[in-house]
Amino acid sequence: MAEPALVASSALLHSPPINHKSLTVAARETLTMASIGATSGKLDALKAAIQSAYGVALPDKPGRVEGNGIAFVWAGPGQWLAVAERGPSRDLEVELKAALPGLASIVDHSDGRVVMRISGPRARDVLAKGVPIDLDPRAFRPGDVAITHASHIGVILWQLDNAPTYEVALFRSYADSFAHWIEEAAAEFVSARD
Amino acid sequence: MAHPTQPNRLSSGGLVDRTRTLSFTFDGKTYTGHPGDTLASALIANGVMLTGRSFKYHRPRGILTAGSEEPNALVELREGARREPNTKATMAELYGGLSARSQNRWPSLSFDVMSINSLLSPVFVAGFYYKTFMWPSALWEKLYEPAIRRAAGLGRAAETHDPDIYEKATAFADVLVIGGGPAGLIAALAAARSKARVVLVDENASLGGRAVDDASEIDGKPAREWVDAAERELSGLENVRILRRTTAFGSYDGGTFGAIERVSDHLAAAPAGVPRQRVWRIVAKKTVLASGATERPLVFGNNDRPGVMLAGAVRTYINRFGVLPGKRVIVFTNNDYGATTVTDLKRAGAEVVALVDTRPQPSEMTKRLAGEAQTRLISGGVIVGALGRHGVTGAVIRTNSGDEVKLDCDLIAASGGWNPNIQLATHQGAKPVWNTTCHSFLAGVLPHGMSSAGAASGALSLDKALASGAAAGSAAASEAGFATVPVSVPDARAESEAITPLWRVDNPRGKAFVDQQNDVATSDIVLAEREGFRAVEHLKRYTTLGMATDQGRTANVNAIAIMAEITGRSIPETGITMARPPYTPVAVGALAGHHRGKTFKPTRLPPSYKWAKEQGAVFVETGLWLRPSSFPRPGEGDWLDTVKREVNTVRNAVGICDVSTLGKVDVQGTDALAFIEKLYCNGFKTLGVGKARYGCMLREDGMLLDDGTCARLGENHFFITTTTANAVKVVQHMEYCHQWLWPEMDVQITSATEQWAQYAIAGPKSRDLIRRVVDAEFDVSDAGFPYMGVGAITVCGGIKARLFRLSFSGERAYELGVPARFGDALMRRLMEAGKDLGVCAYGTEALGVMRIEKGHISGPELNGTTTPRDVGLGGMVSSKKDFIGSVLGKRPGLVDPQRPALVGFRPVDRSDRLRSGAHFIPRNAMASATVSEGHMTSTAYSPSNGHWIGLGFLKNGANRMGEIVRAYDPVRNGDTLVEVVSPVFVDPEGGRVRG
Repeated sequence: MAEPALVASSALLHSPPINHKSLTVAARETLTMASIGATSGKLDALKAAIQSAYGVALPDKPGRVEGNGIAFVWAGPGQWLAVAERGPSRDLEVELKAALPGLASIVDHSDGRVVMRISGPRARDVLAKGVPIDLDPRAFRPGDVAITHASHIGVILWQLDNAPTYEVALFRSYADSFAHWIEEAAAEFVSARD
Repeated sequence: MAHPTQPNRLSSGGLVDRTRTLSFTFDGKTYTGHPGDTLASALIANGVMLTGRSFKYHRPRGILTAGSEEPNALVELREGARREPNTKATMAELYGGLSARSQNRWPSLSFDVMSINSLLSPVFVAGFYYKTFMWPSALWEKLYEPAIRRAAGLGRAAETHDPDIYEKATAFADVLVIGGGPAGLIAALAAARSKARVVLVDENASLGGRAVDDASEIDGKPAREWVDAAERELSGLENVRILRRTTAFGSYDGGTFGAIERVSDHLAAAPAGVPRQRVWRIVAKKTVLASGATERPLVFGNNDRPGVMLAGAVRTYINRFGVLPGKRVIVFTNNDYGATTVTDLKRAGAEVVALVDTRPQPSEMTKRLAGEAQTRLISGGVIVGALGRHGVTGAVIRTNSGDEVKLDCDLIAASGGWNPNIQLATHQGAKPVWNTTCHSFLAGVLPHGMSSAGAASGALSLDKALASGAAAGSAAASEAGFATVPVSVPDARAESEAITPLWRVDNPRGKAFVDQQNDVATSDIVLAEREGFRAVEHLKRYTTLGMATDQGRTANVNAIAIMAEITGRSIPETGITMARPPYTPVAVGALAGHHRGKTFKPTRLPPSYKWAKEQGAVFVETGLWLRPSSFPRPGEGDWLDTVKREVNTVRNAVGICDVSTLGKVDVQGTDALAFIEKLYCNGFKTLGVGKARYGCMLREDGMLLDDGTCARLGENHFFITTTTANAVKVVQHMEYCHQWLWPEMDVQITSATEQWAQYAIAGPKSRDLIRRVVDAEFDVSDAGFPYMGVGAITVCGGIKARLFRLSFSGERAYELGVPARFGDALMRRLMEAGKDLGVCAYGTEALGVMRIEKGHISGPELNGTTTPRDVGLGGMVSSKKDFIGSVLGKRPGLVDPQRPALVGFRPVDRSDRLRSGAHFIPRNAMASATVSEGHMTSTAYSPSNGHWIGLGFLKNGANRMGEIVRAYDPVRNGDTLVEVVSPVFVDPEGGRVRG
């Protein structure tokens, strides 16, 4: 059978990303992701393996570390979400299973979650309308992670830089509702006036 | 020089911008005002003193206050969809084109038919409703309530959807300062200079509070200059957020406050994208309550007439708004602060007819002020009654010697003292304490993290307010962990706070009102006491005192004091006044924010949603999911036609259903099997790799929690499916079991529901269809991929996928899962590839019909009160292992043979329709609940049988095959004879699933 492989489709139905000087919102749909759950009693070995393979230390508390081409996001005690660009063929489930034999269970999350990137001077104001935690630079910085909710939608949230840029990972089926909320929340900052 | 069109507008002073004129209408008549006005100040500027009718007696009422405590001047603001009743004219900022209407009057404000109630007022006393409309009770709904509602309405709600945006937001503060008067401003400055994060909220459009209202002096200059400088400094600091037009309405646990910001209420319409109002949740480490104080009215005859105004409000109108509410004024006070009003009035050009001071020996200051204002000081006198009906025309004054004099006037400015605004301090239950200096309640033990300053703490004098604010702001910042910088307290004159309370005037001429919004007079309190309602909470409920939208802010303390007087008790003995949120009314729409209508909760869209929408599918909400319920085609008469076609297609060819919404849980670890064995009531030890098995989880009490399949993907790797409804609950249950019951187990649990787009492909031709998408190297023959087989495969040229040979429909069937991003494309590919096989998509309706035809349980049977035995699965419960629910599932009541058990039903008359919810009763019994033997849980028209079928729980059901019972459904007039049959209506041998 020589039919072409299936074409991937976006988790967002119609909500256009926001592209404004004060705020950009975009879905990152070229990621490969996998959840890592440490095997009982193998935490230290797991950390050592990650350190040697990717040059980073897995965080023990809510935090995100970035190694060469891969990031690890704390997702609970003994749990992390690994995130990388998919590129032509990268598959973190396959890669991590090979790299961490017997040290952790690996589950593909490339499609289960959608990562939305929210960036710009108004990012904090917009997120304050749905995220109930303190994102002020005094309380939350690049590399920090929170498991929280945004407009009644469960998310893992982390900060990338001081633009500020945040990313939220949410379950795929909520993507459209999330986009709808953030469009409404952002409307006062990105109206036609400027 | 008088203003050309606004007779009461002063030529200078106030914060209004006289260079711009705004036009507005009240009851259809056009007036003008200026930016900076409220509707109330603009009406006063135009000499409009009559603004509404009262709630019960329809008495003419005017503007009493200048703030959010206003009980009388409630209007319908705006038109059409934006019409909002009960808007306080004192809080509504003027904008060009504003339109407002008075309430509670018909046909017009000056001639109101219902004011006949006023003549009948001896009838409409406290407890009137309780006494009058008790009997006969049948008349309550039909007659009394509609009539009362017509007569006592409070404005009309808009009849169409509110077009505006409302939203919610969260803010965090090291120091939250509530109130932007002098105490709040200096507290905010003190905290902000320490670099603490400060949020300052103030109810009004501009800051300054009473320092501006009273045109006080700070550092020898007008207070406004100091206020402006403070505001400039705060605005320039990145660690400060000033929320103007924002009322902190509630105080909650952990330093959390609710506040409502009226973002666009001061505009004709909110700019595009900008919300009308925003509810803030403010989380603060420390809070300074600088919410000021509310002036108490004096209680005398006809003290509710338009033109009787609080003295402080009169000063506010003169000093903040540049309007003079009256030309000939009597000031009536029991305290020095009230007496200062004569100075403001005189300066504004009014004639102060008299200063009536209830104290036989007024203070030296009062005497001096009276002299300076060239007014007659009547010491030890009281106003026994105001004269005039639609507006004050004079007052009858009883002097210290008991003589009565009548003086003409057009305004009475009255002050009975001040009540600190301590509501936010009492929201969490802290009881206030009586203070004998200010003769009011002060906060007792403040909530954790809260301090108070200024008038809210009883410091009415400006110098004390500033000092207490500076100290509270510094202390709050310091306690929040910041090194504070000393703040120099500016100079302000000490003001006299002397007061001799007078709670009510004896023998008033006319009704003397205590609660003006709910029309409660002193006579009602007297009556309540006489009838035994002496406790403050009883008084409140019997008379409705303090229960209006103003929370009785101008009424409560006076009422308690009057009750104390009548009963001869002290005020603290009589009771206290507590408050609940919200401090001021908050629209429900603002609390809902974004979450209204279809966005009340998020909607979850399954992977094939877009495709299904294109097909014109009908959708159904199942939890948060939007699932296709059927796919109607042109020419199909009704839903039943569609469902019949979809079922017949599955039974005869092949159909596809998106089952991605079912919960999927990945379980891995060396103890995964042991974990699974404890979760399910049936055994999994013998389940081979590459196989799936049906299983049921029970709750600890032995009842069914959920059912689904469990596939073994590897030695230590399982993949569980749950029902759509219980997906989250099952994962929570599993996490709980792992974290609390068996933390020693090596198990990793991961929700994988959303990773996979999963399609049920069902029907005799299902294998032919999947063969066309599954890559050639994978064997899908019955030998290579038998019933209950499971495998990791690839489809469409290398896309990773999982294939499960499972069947809910009873036909040969598969579930094919691909990564969710390919879900849309796979659905299109399957529909294209299956065209010649006669493929169709089917929805939850057909899915439901086919599971009922097969006797499979679903939500109506998994209702939390059923055991495996009840649903006919008793045989699969393991007796060889321990599992959750095994012990309590053996309770005698749960294994009683008489317990209702799941059986099938078909109508004796095959043309009868069955309905779920019907109760089963013996054929010849009288229909009553006592003879019910169970009920119908699921029914469907079965295309495969050509008649309606049902599932239900019937006492001892398994042993009653062939028996005829009545399915009795009084709600829908159903009374059908049904035959008890096997719950499996299609392919009872189960051969089809194996092919």
